[in-house]
Amino acid sequence: MIWKLLRQHISVAQLAGFFLANLCGMVIVLLGIQFYKDVLPVFTQGDSFMKKDYVIVSKQVSTLGSLVGKGGTFSRADIADMESQPFAKRTGAFTPAQFQVSAGMGMAGMQLSTAMFFESVPDEFVDVRLEGWTYREGQTEIPIIIPRNYLNLYNFGFAQSRNLPQLSEGVMGMMTLDVRLSGRGRTERMKGRIVGFSNRLNTILVPQAFMEWANATLGDGGQTAPSRLIVEVDNPADDRIAKYFKQKGYETEGDKLDAGKTTWFLKMVVGIVLTVGLIISVLSFYLLMLSIYLLLQKNTKKLENLLMIGFSPAAVARPYQALTVGLNAAVAAMGVLLVWMARDAYLDMLQRMVPDFQAGSLLPTLLTAGGLFLLVSVLNVLAVRRKVESIWRKK
Amino acid sequence: MKNEELLMNNGEHSSFFIINSSLNKMNTIELQQTLPEVFAGRDGIVSDVWHRQVAFQKGKMYLIEAASGTGKSSLCSFIYGYRTDYQGIISFDGENVRKLTVKQWTDIRKRSLGMLFQELRLFGELTAWENVQLKNGLTGFCRKQQVKDWFEQLGIADKWDVKAARMSYGQQQRVAFVRMLCQPADFFFLDEPVSHLDDGNGEIMARILKEEAARQGAGVIVTSIGKHLPLEYDRVLSL
Repeated sequence: MIWKLLRQHISVAQLAGFFLANLCGMVIVLLGIQFYKDVLPVFTQGDSFMKKDYVIVSKQVSTLGSLVGKGGTFSRADIADMESQPFAKRTGAFTPAQFQVSAGMGMAGMQLSTAMFFESVPDEFVDVRLEGWTYREGQTEIPIIIPRNYLNLYNFGFAQSRNLPQLSEGVMGMMTLDVRLSGRGRTERMKGRIVGFSNRLNTILVPQAFMEWANATLGDGGQTAPSRLIVEVDNPADDRIAKYFKQKGYETEGDKLDAGKTTWFLKMVVGIVLTVGLIISVLSFYLLMLSIYLLLQKNTKKLENLLMIGFSPAAVARPYQALTVGLNAAVAAMGVLLVWMARDAYLDMLQRMVPDFQAGSLLPTLLTAGGLFLLVSVLNVLAVRRKVESIWRKK
Repeated sequence: MKNEELLMNNGEHSSFFIINSSLNKMNTIELQQTLPEVFAGRDGIVSDVWHRQVAFQKGKMYLIEAASGTGKSSLCSFIYGYRTDYQGIISFDGENVRKLTVKQWTDIRKRSLGMLFQELRLFGELTAWENVQLKNGLTGFCRKQQVKDWFEQLGIADKWDVKAARMSYGQQQRVAFVRMLCQPADFFFLDEPVSHLDDGNGEIMARILKEEAARQGAGVIVTSIGKHLPLEYDRVLSL
């Protein structure tokens, strides 16, 4: 009954305008977030177990240096200087193995064996969530991360030429390597298990704990200076990095900076899109508020009469609050639905572009939609209540 | 009252409940030196109400006679709590009405004070019955049959489903009167109830009001600028 009375003067056009505007804002915001979540792994693909923005730094290997035997290693002073740079969040050194490594693999009746090397970086550069990236003394199996290139080298070069089967990453992960470590006259036989492939680390990585143990047990005891550093940076596109490296004569490996740059630009673009979406959302919220205020204003006389015959301000405000909350809920639901549909469309395309593409989670989008809905609804409810209370007080 | 206080003292908000319970059974409406602010500058106000000590008792009937412009509607709005531009004190059972909360006012309007507004405050887009139902739904006080009987007696039964905006002022007055009856009350306050009614309907209205007031032991305050609602008034005041 009260609704029958108060729904008069509701302007469908205004509410439709709000609905569309808010939907627009909502979809832009949500799509921005969802797209970011979905596309980000494409750029960081394969290295999801590594911290996002890092660069690997080495000294230039010069002909002269090679001749005089001067190694391209980093001294303590070099590392300290790197750490003091404003762009470096964290600096870690690669620890090389001070012992001999050879690894073999039996396959199709054929024994492959090769001399290898191990390196390790501090564990905080490897995402700890990566399962099995631990080593305890006495453990006979060593987790290993190898460059994806090695697998490609085997699959598309070696296996092809020798009529050997091609191996997928999954199969590789199930196979164990026979690892032989020797040094100081001792030999240890262990098993190696490949737990990850990296596009960006050009080395064979083992856990730091294992390396420390092995160097202590099999190494010659000397401290070797690291030849490569891993540096976590805020923003890989920072031109101070390039300047600093150039001045010091350091080199960064391959396209690491490029991948980081792409990620950074992606972040920036998504940030701009989100801002635009939020601005549209705020404006549409303003539109709704104006529309509701106008509605309340037109119905002031009626609201006053309802209050006069004993309706509480809360009861009088409720239909309008229900109206706004209902609209907001419809916008949120519709927004999520649209994003879901849009996502279906672009996921298809991404899957064709990137074969082993894994879509990101929908959860952040849903949380954002829920959060925006709650925020806007609470503001609306409060504003309507204040307006009705002001009608009460005017008398 | 003492018993009620003891009962209510168990609750956390005991003081709140006492105020409410005392207001739910409102016994007196007191005016102490009350005067509309717009009259403040005037000298020589001769009135039985303004600038005096007046108390309206539950169970009694009062007629306030007024000439136009003497503040009759202002009096109604002060007592009903929708205007506060007056000097002096208005109190319900000793409780200053300026201190009442929104919730208390809502309760009073639902349970203690029935008001027939001079401007009626009906909803033109609702039918006669819907107008009454709006209030009755809030209080749950009357059965539909009771409302029908009153409509019958007041001669507006055929207007049951007619929108209020399409009725004559006299008919609307009767609808608003029935709506006023749809609540428990300690006082019925009628602001010029028969201004557009013939004597016959005025008498019927008076009879129904008398019955209802007697049944609930409520007080009746009627204002008039000429035509009176024919009741046996305990006291007649001129504003």
